[in-house]
Amino acid sequence: MDAALQTGLEALGDSTRMAIFQRLSAGPLAVNELAGMLPVSRPAVSQHLKVLKDAGLVTDRKSGTRRYYALDPEGVARLRAHFEALWDTSLRAFQVAAEKT
Amino acid sequence: MQIASEEAVVRKSVRVEVPIERAFSVFVEQMESWWPASHHIGGTAFETIIVEPRVGGRWYERNVEGQQCNWGTVLAWDAPHHVAFSWHVGPGRESLEWGYDADPARASRVDVRFTAEGAGATVVELVHSGLERHGAGVEQLRAAFEAPNAWSGILALYAEAANAKETR
Repeated sequence: MDAALQTGLEALGDSTRMAIFQRLSAGPLAVNELAGMLPVSRPAVSQHLKVLKDAGLVTDRKSGTRRYYALDPEGVARLRAHFEALWDTSLRAFQVAAEKT
Repeated sequence: MQIASEEAVVRKSVRVEVPIERAFSVFVEQMESWWPASHHIGGTAFETIIVEPRVGGRWYERNVEGQQCNWGTVLAWDAPHHVAFSWHVGPGRESLEWGYDADPARASRVDVRFTAEGAGATVVELVHSGLERHGAGVEQLRAAFEAPNAWSGILALYAEAANAKETR
């Protein structure tokens, strides 16, 4: 891991914010859902979400009467790009291996 | 609410000019003959990649010293038509080192289907789904800290945390 990222992770070392961040990595959640999962009040969750949002780590979207928070899908896009490349390379090599007599 | 599932799916297909039985056997029995040598999780390069031919079987790499590193588990086995694996290799929860994660909730799924085209050709279709389960969070963190303005965000968080401690 590079030093800048290490420092960044340490700076994000607030355990509640990290817990919120990890919960959101499984999918979007509303504030009260997050508050129900964590030993923190709803206003405190809102406050932490605001910090995460200001830092560009989460996004929010209104759906009906609720506001949902989510990680930027960019993270998933990057993982997807990694696997796209891996399977492209692998299947090309597989084709060569299969057709070798 | 879920992340739009197609965003977290990779689909690939390849046509090989060999019968279905050979296509299947090269895929599952000779994986080391085609898997990119750079993609191993053990400390040294793999010598073989083993798929145990049954549901519940292990999928793992083995190096010359005989050390084994798990990659996943066989979820479906219908030779020579279909094989599926759980894929447990992803970025770590707190570090960016990729490795094996035993937690089933953090595994994606690879489905490979083989369809004969006449007697001498086979279409191989691969679907790797559930990629978001590998902790998009860590990738998201990486993206955030690689962004040009990353440091302002980090410093804002640091300032907030420092202020919170002082006023506590």
